[in-house]
Amino acid sequence: MSESSKKWYSLNLNRSAKSESCGCDKSDGLCDSDKPTDGYDQIMDVSISRRAAFSKITAGLLIGAGAISNSCSIVGSDESKEKSAMEWEEYFKGNYKLMTDEEKEKTVGRLVRSYELNTGKKINMSSKEAEENVLFGYAFNISKCQGYMDCVNACIEENNQDRSSQMQYIRIHEMEDGKGFNFEEADDNYYHEVPAKGHFYLGTQCFHCDNPPCVEVCPVKATWKENDGIVVIDYDWCIGCRYCMAACPYDGRRFNWKTPEIPLEEVNKNQHYLGNRLRKKGVMEKCTFCVQRSREGKNPACVEACPTGSRTFGNLLDPKSNIRWILENKKVFRLKEDLGTEPKFWYYMD
Amino acid sequence: MTTKIKVSVLIMVGCLFTVSCKHSDEHKYHTVTDKIEANTIEYTGDISSDIYNETIRKVEVKDGEFEFLIPERKSQIASYNCTECHSQPLEKLKEYKVGEKAAHWNINLSHAGPETMNCATCHGKNDFDNLQSLTNSSIDFNFSHKLCSQCHQQQFKDWKGGAHGKQLGGWVPPRVSNTCVNCHNPHSPQFEKRWPVRYNIQVAKERE
Repeated sequence: MSESSKKWYSLNLNRSAKSESCGCDKSDGLCDSDKPTDGYDQIMDVSISRRAAFSKITAGLLIGAGAISNSCSIVGSDESKEKSAMEWEEYFKGNYKLMTDEEKEKTVGRLVRSYELNTGKKINMSSKEAEENVLFGYAFNISKCQGYMDCVNACIEENNQDRSSQMQYIRIHEMEDGKGFNFEEADDNYYHEVPAKGHFYLGTQCFHCDNPPCVEVCPVKATWKENDGIVVIDYDWCIGCRYCMAACPYDGRRFNWKTPEIPLEEVNKNQHYLGNRLRKKGVMEKCTFCVQRSREGKNPACVEACPTGSRTFGNLLDPKSNIRWILENKKVFRLKEDLGTEPKFWYYMD
Repeated sequence: MTTKIKVSVLIMVGCLFTVSCKHSDEHKYHTVTDKIEANTIEYTGDISSDIYNETIRKVEVKDGEFEFLIPERKSQIASYNCTECHSQPLEKLKEYKVGEKAAHWNINLSHAGPETMNCATCHGKNDFDNLQSLTNSSIDFNFSHKLCSQCHQQQFKDWKGGAHGKQLGGWVPPRVSNTCVNCHNPHSPQFEKRWPVRYNIQVAKERE
């Protein structure tokens, strides 16, 4: 990475152009830490004008004040002190993509611990990286889908989606035969016996484009494409501007207009930092090909739930995979191929 | 002279191309298909589907270039071996007493029409423990896909490739796929109509 020396979110105030990734003043290159600094260090170590320093510190204090008063208080319990300390660290953590493995582990540890402190229940959170020589892709058989929507339910449960707003990653569009793919006239909230006569069903979700416009427009680089092709979001770095939502030509992204609520007993405790961990109000989310499952070798929940076998998931690089056979032997197409977004989600018919 | 010009033009054009096509690694490929082709490599990673399919008994299917596993079937059939009841010829079994339920009374054959198929199309009159092909040869219950493929050639082809049916346990090798009868009831193979499992009331309200 050519920009490895300069993190895009660094403050860079009064910073000489020569100063590299490290915030220390040693010019001989023998720095104490060669690893990239995290957000906290960047804010705290940077040489900064008095004026700017005051404004930054005040902003931080406004949020951190509660944490400080709690952690320094003599009467506060150990748990609440621990909680405040963790909240402080979480507040100043950096972008996940730029974290070292150690930092990733730490933040995952903090999230697991704070969930335990808040609810008394343990969760399992992973920060597993992409497997080598794997590129994920998806195929959807529109001849087979019957519109049962088992996939939608499975997705909601697996990915800890807010129940009341009914913001869902998957949409199943009921389309009339002979009218082509007319999304404007299609119904994605039907309720009658399916398959309805003279209709077919087409499912959409995030297509994990190889050239994703959503990643391109993010002003804070809170969303990116992983090496296995999954487009992910750092929910803690997202500022909720929704540029990505506007940039996506496939309606693949969802926004949390309210604090997501999931009944405590229904929370899926098998989580991934970039996947189904609990989100907050004001951040984007979307299908992650169930990164918490797919990186363990499993199929996404929608694939597993589909009773008709319309959904195929697999490794596009493996010449022996089912998805490769489909791409090479069936007449496949993608939506809006002319845009050059290169979605890794193909449709085909029997 | 002309060759000199030609050569220099070629060099210039070459330079142009090397400059203009020098993309970052991210934009090395024109399409994702190019990327897939260039990076094709058989998966040899650490994860295996074995841990997810531990509980399933499997048999191996080998057909040309295809080699994969399917769930074993015989142990899943409630009254196998068939010969435990079918010890006598069919003609004798037919003479059941009035008032008794006929054997297999619960099976309602709804597969093609009666002109095309009846029980004896797949079940032999003599060899009860095996299925019977159209040419009267025996087919093991564990490999019932051979029977189905007699008529459903296209589906069979797609199933072998992975475009029809369902892979179990995940995307990682070794591949374990459902066989025909794991999804389709052989006596009534069509999927039934039913209501969707979900209706979004909130969404409907918002769109009103």
